[in-house]
Amino acid sequence: MPQPLSYTLVITGAPWATQAPQTALSFAQALLKAGHRIDRVFLYGDGVHLASALSAPPSDEQHWPRLWSEFLSGNNITAVACIASALRRGIVDKTEQARYELTASNLRAPFEIAGLGEWVEGNLKSNRVLYFHGAH
Amino acid sequence: MTTLIVIDQPPYGSWTGREALDMTFSLAAFDQPAAMLFLGAGVNWLCKGQAADAVGQKSVEKNLAAAALFGVEQILVDSRACAKYGLETSDLLPGTTAAESISETLGQYSRVVFAG
Repeated sequence: MPQPLSYTLVITGAPWATQAPQTALSFAQALLKAGHRIDRVFLYGDGVHLASALSAPPSDEQHWPRLWSEFLSGNNITAVACIASALRRGIVDKTEQARYELTASNLRAPFEIAGLGEWVEGNLKSNRVLYFHGAH
Repeated sequence: MTTLIVIDQPPYGSWTGREALDMTFSLAAFDQPAAMLFLGAGVNWLCKGQAADAVGQKSVEKNLAAAALFGVEQILVDSRACAKYGLETSDLLPGTTAAESISETLGQYSRVVFAG
């Protein structure tokens, strides 16, 4: 078997607007199956919509936020939504709800909200950083 | 290891370039070497005298002017795209470097990030 590698996966495409979260999930599952490690999943730009606890697609469709959170929790993988991207798009945790005096919070566990520093750290620590975009 | 951030979207009409710029500044803030390449419609980012307030937006010119200050190593611009958009060197913000061959430029970096 080739040398196992560590990965940071960055998702910038939103679910139901792009295939990015779906492609990234298949890739992530294949990575683990091949014996590689995922250090961190980082949601950026429109990708933060994947961390919404309020998505409610029709029951005969795939529920990408739920599938992703099950995958993350089941494999103990850290997943972070960029705070600047998330706040702009209405994805907030309880801390940000209190800070901005918003009426609700909607961050789906196990996603966390943090800064771009998490992405920078991924660049430093992971052997590979891969991007899942909507438009390219 | 320098990370090359590539912006190929126009400065207005899409938010992805701005978020890619934030990534660049974030690398620089953590003392990680970063460079930028403006490709295709992205070369319009470097145009002098943008009147962004006419479309109710903040000009990206100011953000870019801060790039050198933040420690961004180089701002590369696709020469062919400049010609296509009718931009002469004198139309561009100071401190940009022309890139004649994009494939060669991309090949020089092992970490490349395209704006989403």
